[in-house]
Amino acid sequence: MSLTRIRLLVWKEFLQLRRDPLLLRLLLLMPIIQLVGFGYVVSVDVRNLPTAVVDLDQTVVSRQLESSFTASGYFLVVARPDAETQLTSLLDTGVAKVALVIPQGTQDLLARGQTAPVGIVVDGSDSQIASVGSGYAAQAIARFNASRTAAFTGSLQAPGIDARTRVVFNPTLDPINTMIPGLVAAILMISLMSIMSQAVVRERESGTLEQMFVTPIRPSEYLIGKVAPYALLAVAQLSVVAAIGMLWFKVPFNGSVWVVFVGLALFLLISVGLGLLVSLISRTRQQAQQALVFIMIPTMVLSGFIFPIESMPEAIQPLTYAVPLRYALTVLRGSFVKGSGFEALATPLWAMVGFAIVIFGAAVIATRRRIAE
Amino acid sequence: MTREGEVHGIPADPSAAISVRGLTKTFGNFTAVDGIDLDVPRGQVFGFLGPNGSGKTTTIRILTGTSAPRSGQALVLGEDVVAHPERVRPRIGYMSQKFALFEDLTVDENLRFYAGVYALDPAVFAARRRYILEMADLQGRERELTRNLSVGWRQRLALGAATIHEPDLLFLDEPTSGVDPVARRQFWDLLYELAGRGVTLFVTTHYMEEASHCHRLAFIYRGRIVAEGSPNEIRANLSTQRVYDVTVRDADLALGWLETADGIAEAYLSGAALHAVIDRGVDRGAGALRERLVAAGFADAVVVSVEPTIEDVFVNLVSRERGQTDGSSDRVS
Repeated sequence: MSLTRIRLLVWKEFLQLRRDPLLLRLLLLMPIIQLVGFGYVVSVDVRNLPTAVVDLDQTVVSRQLESSFTASGYFLVVARPDAETQLTSLLDTGVAKVALVIPQGTQDLLARGQTAPVGIVVDGSDSQIASVGSGYAAQAIARFNASRTAAFTGSLQAPGIDARTRVVFNPTLDPINTMIPGLVAAILMISLMSIMSQAVVRERESGTLEQMFVTPIRPSEYLIGKVAPYALLAVAQLSVVAAIGMLWFKVPFNGSVWVVFVGLALFLLISVGLGLLVSLISRTRQQAQQALVFIMIPTMVLSGFIFPIESMPEAIQPLTYAVPLRYALTVLRGSFVKGSGFEALATPLWAMVGFAIVIFGAAVIATRRRIAE
Repeated sequence: MTREGEVHGIPADPSAAISVRGLTKTFGNFTAVDGIDLDVPRGQVFGFLGPNGSGKTTTIRILTGTSAPRSGQALVLGEDVVAHPERVRPRIGYMSQKFALFEDLTVDENLRFYAGVYALDPAVFAARRRYILEMADLQGRERELTRNLSVGWRQRLALGAATIHEPDLLFLDEPTSGVDPVARRQFWDLLYELAGRGVTLFVTTHYMEEASHCHRLAFIYRGRIVAEGSPNEIRANLSTQRVYDVTVRDADLALGWLETADGIAEAYLSGAALHAVIDRGVDRGAGALRERLVAAGFADAVVVSVEPTIEDVFVNLVSRERGQTDGSSDRVS
C-alpha cells in the first residue's frame, strides 16, 4: 500500500468534486433543508391541535374547563358547534382532530360533589396525534381537577390521586428531541449513499477505472482514495446538521460526545460502504439509482426512524435487525435524550462494527471481481 | 511447468515482449480465449485482429494482469504476469478506445495524476510533460478541461498519459475507433515514432487497412488464433485463390447472384464494390467472370483482378473456420 498513491487519488477526487459545484451545494444544502423541513413539520403538528368544543353547559365551570385545555398550548379551538351531532362532519373533514364535549349540568353535578363525565373525542386516523392528543387531554383535565380541589380546600396540596402521566427523558414530549438525532443519521446515510453509489460506476462508464487498474494502483488504495474524501465531507455535513439542531431547534444534548462520535463514525463507514457496494455491483448509473431506492425505502420504514419498531407486527420486527440505521438511531437517541454511555449502548455499537466489517469486506471482494471482469 | 507450452513444441520465450502458451479463459460455459499461443518480439508493432467478441479484449486484460486466465502461461516482458502483475504494470502502458482520461480534470491535472501514479520524479515529469504537450499539440491548452477537447486531441493526450512513464510495451485496444481518417493517420505516425524508439506495440483493431501498418499480425476468431505472420505471409494464405473486384450498379442483387454462383468460393462487399474469390483451379480470368455477370443480367459489370487485401484474407479465414466448426467435428489442426 502506497500513501503517495492514496494521496494522489484523494487529490484527484477533491479536484473532481470542486468541478461539480451543483453536487457540492447539494451536499451542504440538502441536510439543512431536510432538517428544517422535518423539524418544523414535526413540531407544528403536535402543538395547536385543531379542537372543537361543544359546550352544552354554558357555565363558569365549563368555561374554566375549556380554558385549561387552551392554556396548555396543545389545543387550538377552531369550532364551537351547538350540538354533538355536528362533530362527525368536523372530524371527518379534518377541520378538528380533537373534540371536547361538556354535557349540560356539569356545573351542577360538580357543585353537588359528584363526578361529572365529559367527553373527549380524538381522531384516531393518525396514531401519533391520537395518542399525544388523548394524553394531553388527560393532563388538562387533571390540571382542572387539581385547581378546583385547591380552590375548595384553600391549599395547593390537593388531596386525592394525581393521575398525570409522567413522560420520562423527554418531559415536554417534544418529538423534535428524538427526531433531530435520528435525522442526523438519516441525512448522513441518504447523502453519502447517493454520492458514493455514483462514484465508482461513473469511472466504470468513462473507462478510467479500467485504466487505473492497469497502473500500479492497487484495489485497496483505490477504495481508500474513494472513501476518504467523502468521509471528510460527511463530517462537515454532520457538524452543520448537529449545530442547527442544537442551536436552532434547541435540542438538549445530555450524552457523551464520544459515544455520538463513535456511533456516527461507524454509521458513516457503513453508509459509505453500502454506497460503494451499490456502485461496484451496478453496471450503469441508472442501475445504481434503482438499487439505492431499493435499499433506502425498507431502511426508512424498518429502522424505527418514522414508525416505532415496537408498534410493528411481531413477524416484521426481526427484519429490523438487518437495518444498520436501526442501531445508529438507538445510539444517537439514547445518547442525546437519555445520556446513555458506552456500556448501555454496547450492543448496537458492536452490531455496527459487524456491519462495517461485512460491508467493507464485500466491497473489497466486489472491487477485485469488477476489475477482473 | 509449461504443460500447454508443448502445443507449439517450444516453451514460452522470456526474451520476447509477450510470450503466451495455451492461454484459456472461460466465462461460465463460454470460452472467450481458447488455448492460444502467441509470440511478440520486442520492438515490433503487433496487430491483433478479429471481429468484435472474438477474444481480443479478454486477451489484453489477461496480458495486463487485470484478469486471471483459467489455464496457460503468459510471460510479459519476461515476467509471469498472472503470478506477479505488480512486476509488469510499471513497465507497460495501456490505452483503450474510451481514451480513459478524467474529463473533469484539466490536461495538466491528468498528466500530473498519471505521473504520480508511476512515481516519476519532478525533473523527469517536467521533461515528459513538455514532450507530451508538444506531441499532442496541446501547448498553451494545459489548463483546459479534457472534456472540451475534440476527439483527435483527446486521443493523443490519452496516448501521452498512457506512455508518460515510458513503458517498454504498450497495449492499444482499438485506439482508433470513432476517430476520423486524418486523425487516425496522424495517430499511426505517433505509434511508428514510439516503435522507432524501441517500444513494443500490441494493437487490436478491426480496421483492416490498419493491419498493413503492423510488422506482424495474428487473427483471433472465436477465441482461437486462425492465422499469424507478417502481412505478406498472411496474404499468402490466399495464394491458391484469386480475388476479383466487381463494380456494378445493383450491388445487392449482384452479391446475391455471386454468393450462389458456381465456382465462386466467396463473395462479399468491399467498400462500394464487391469482391469475388475464385479458386485458381477453376479460375478462367476477369473476362470470363464478366461474361457470366452480363449473361445473368448485370450488363454494367466491371471486373478487375486485384491483389488480396488483409480484409480478403480475413473474410476467407473466418468462413473457413466457420465451415470447420459448424460443418463437421473433425477439425483440421
